[in-house]
Amino acid sequence: MQPRRPPPPAPGSGPWGPRPAAPLIALLLLLVPVVAAAESESAEDRGQPQDAGLQRRLLQQAARAALHFFNFRAGSPSALRVLAQVQKGRAWINPKEGCKVDVVFSTERYNLESLLQEGEGHLGKCSARVLFKNQKPRPAVNVTCTRLIEKKKRQQEDYLLYKQMKQLKNPLEIVSIPDNHGHIDPSLRPIWDLAFLGSSYVMWEMTTQFSRYYLAQLTSVRQWKTNDDTIDFDYTVLLHELSTQEIIPCRIHLVWYPGKPLKVKYHCQELQTPEEASGTEEGSAVAPTELSNF
Amino acid sequence: MRWILFIGALIGSSICSREKFFGDQVFRINVRNGDEISKLSQLVNSNNLKLNVWKSPSTFNRPVDVLVPSVSLQPVKSFLTSQGLEYEVTIEDLQIYHEMDNIASDFPDLASRVKIGHSFENRPMYVLKFSTEEGVPRPAIWLNAGIHSREWISQATAIWTARKIASDYQRDPAITSILEKMDIFLLPVANPDGYVYTQTQNRLWRKTRSLNPGSPCFGADPNRNWNASFAGKGASDDPCSEVYHGPHANSEVEVKSVVDFIQKHGNFKCFIDLHSYSQLMMYPYGYTAKKAPDAEELDKLARRAAKALASVSGTEYQVGPTCTTVYPASGSSIDWAYDNGIKFAFTLELRDTGTYGFLLPANQIIPTAEETWLGLKTIMEHVRDNLY
Repeated sequence: MQPRRPPPPAPGSGPWGPRPAAPLIALLLLLVPVVAAAESESAEDRGQPQDAGLQRRLLQQAARAALHFFNFRAGSPSALRVLAQVQKGRAWINPKEGCKVDVVFSTERYNLESLLQEGEGHLGKCSARVLFKNQKPRPAVNVTCTRLIEKKKRQQEDYLLYKQMKQLKNPLEIVSIPDNHGHIDPSLRPIWDLAFLGSSYVMWEMTTQFSRYYLAQLTSVRQWKTNDDTIDFDYTVLLHELSTQEIIPCRIHLVWYPGKPLKVKYHCQELQTPEEASGTEEGSAVAPTELSNF
Repeated sequence: MRWILFIGALIGSSICSREKFFGDQVFRINVRNGDEISKLSQLVNSNNLKLNVWKSPSTFNRPVDVLVPSVSLQPVKSFLTSQGLEYEVTIEDLQIYHEMDNIASDFPDLASRVKIGHSFENRPMYVLKFSTEEGVPRPAIWLNAGIHSREWISQATAIWTARKIASDYQRDPAITSILEKMDIFLLPVANPDGYVYTQTQNRLWRKTRSLNPGSPCFGADPNRNWNASFAGKGASDDPCSEVYHGPHANSEVEVKSVVDFIQKHGNFKCFIDLHSYSQLMMYPYGYTAKKAPDAEELDKLARRAAKALASVSGTEYQVGPTCTTVYPASGSSIDWAYDNGIKFAFTLELRDTGTYGFLLPANQIIPTAEETWLGLKTIMEHVRDNLY
């Protein structure tokens, strides 16, 4: 996800409904000890810049988690979005429960070609409410975005990608995508886009208020024949987690058909935590994400 | 592959007409008799392996040096072993060291290649020294690159910058006036063992390749190994971690070599460390959220540098102190530099912001180097005008 510019801090009241003053003050009082605990600094050191910095980082984390989730749920490898800019938002930290973030951000189309193309700055807009549960994975996300790509165009591109996948020779003799020099052969782009889509599910589940994931490289791909025309493939991704700098290999299995919800199963090796993370998602059977009120 | 062409163009055809790329090795083959010489000729003459004899023997029992391109390493090794020919691999990863040598010989009055130490696996640590006046250790600038081996755009940018400094001296007023007052030291590969490892074994290796007794894991994070709140927040005591700080400060010989050199010199005013990725320009501290005494000046300067950088292709960098801009990190190079009197200490995280991450494509090397150059010049000009 690509944040562009740190947004100005968003002090003052948020735009999401009335709040009684007393609980708000209580929340603000709770915010202060959490900041102090996190930074281990004396009272003199706590001040505006730190709070603003913490707010900014939480807003960006929430935007990223929301986008991973959005990309997964949209289920469209041609309509992947990345973060352009966090515009406004507010984070509430409850030391016992976790962190609630309301955030509004702009997005742009995921684009592997040269970074900046003049005139292609179509920005979509999203607003999201994200609940990070005290460093436990699977943040609850409620996100809506304006349409970025016309529906018909998206369907056409998805279908084109689908056909390209179906036409690939099996077994695929691929070592890595991109190769070690950052090159992706155009014929392999559909694989990369689909892998990114599946990885979005994994990255959503693993994102916490502190950990941030990127897709570093695809290291093995295997496509299976199917009876029902779906795309069925197994692959290994290397995820890069920014705060620990760890590279996390994940085996992902996904089943996809244009227009249908994505089915993902995965298993990641985690170095730092003793348990290994794994998960399953069937697009059609997702339980609605619940947001509890503080 | 595009990286070959771009690195080749970057460096220019100097020794061979064939394009080279990272990972070429020199095999020193011992030939003891006529039979072995003919076997070796057979190998060298085979067209598809594209070998290049560097030094051929005039008598037996003298070694032959053969340049083996990365793609031919495996077949050559198999052949030599099966034919019973003794060999050892000498210099690995020639390209950057060769280019440094070329720059020094192309610009003898300005540039020289200086060995400041060696790596854990005994590879030389070379810096390029740019100086317009010998003798007195003038106020100096240190440009550090490649400390994290997988961040390939860092080493690539550094070597491009080296040639840029040399060729623009006496052409560009800015760099000329900087060099009239100060020396520039450039270390393009601060972690040579890691760098070779990324080319031969694991593209995403970050740390050094030192041994950790009692642990199956290798290496320490050389940017957590400096003596600045060593083993504090934002580093790990687990040898298997990517941010393992090492057994003690300066335990990594690669770090110690730089520390010793800078301390012995005693007159450095600026230390810039090139990394990737995220597009950030940061100043101390990483080990604490406390404001550095010069934070305001450094922030202003970093913002000007980021603006200059953005003026080339629109690439946007975020600016701020390390701890709150990216994450807490103790034992980092710029924190050490700053706490040791080097006021103008910056970390640059180069392109991109996650699309390709460490695997930045070759066609972005030159654009990245060109924009970064403007940022570096902004900083160096300010240092020149604000010597203390």
